[in-house]
Amino acid sequence: MGRQRAFDEDEVVRAAVGVFGSRAYDGVSVDDLVTHLGVHRNSLYKTFGSKRGLYLVALRRHLADDVRPLTETLAAAPDAASALRLVTSADLGLLLLAAVERAPADEEVAAEVAAALAAIDQAIADALSISPALAAALTAAALGIVLRGNPDGVGTALTQRFD
Amino acid sequence: MALVHIDGDDLVVVIEGLDKLWAFKSSLTIPLANVRGATADPGIAADPKGIRAPGAHLPGVITAGTFHLDGEKIFWDVKDPSKAVVIELADERYARLVLQVDNPRETVTLVENALR
Repeated sequence: MGRQRAFDEDEVVRAAVGVFGSRAYDGVSVDDLVTHLGVHRNSLYKTFGSKRGLYLVALRRHLADDVRPLTETLAAAPDAASALRLVTSADLGLLLLAAVERAPADEEVAAEVAAALAAIDQAIADALSISPALAAALTAAALGIVLRGNPDGVGTALTQRFD
Repeated sequence: MALVHIDGDDLVVVIEGLDKLWAFKSSLTIPLANVRGATADPGIAADPKGIRAPGAHLPGVITAGTFHLDGEKIFWDVKDPSKAVVIELADERYARLVLQVDNPRETVTLVENALR
């Protein structure tokens, strides 16, 4: 039996999703984690093993808490415009950062990101009865629109092509 | 200063130079199965380190040897905190190693890759 932990692991992981989702991995120091998560350094190491250990737990948490609900809502999307709106309005900060920054350097992260994106593609394909490839193109466009700050008219211009 | 390398299924830490006197250790061999991860952590040197026994602790100069903190044993060998790497262990005499290495980023990648 381990000793009673003096912190709420669930809350700490949720806070880590926020920290890792808002700045680059290398820009997050253990000092930052200790400060933002309100956990002693020793407990952090004891519980998660390393910064990367915590990062992986936080990424999986983000996928379960934020991305999975998105795929569930997407499955009921009536048209391409709604699907696009759902993706562009979802909280995908950590997923996007992970895809850009950590996936190329970390196979485990790459596998998680690929699986999450594939689930989004599949949900869109099922909802709109389109091919997986076209659904992936729509997801890719939606994520690109998010990265570009969702400029006016872009989403509409794209989805008009689908209807 | 410490040299960290992987030898088969073991993580090997070699303590260099005079540090081995202060640290009372010249090397440590730990099965990779008992290594949980590695993290570059320049900030750890500013934290309370616990009670030293045996080893040397001249604040601001060298932290070397075995420290006891919150019921855990922690091995330290650090002079320059900016190059500190924390290696977390399981089922070992030490709960974690805090080592000064030449290239923290490289060491972290080496250890984390060996664990995958």
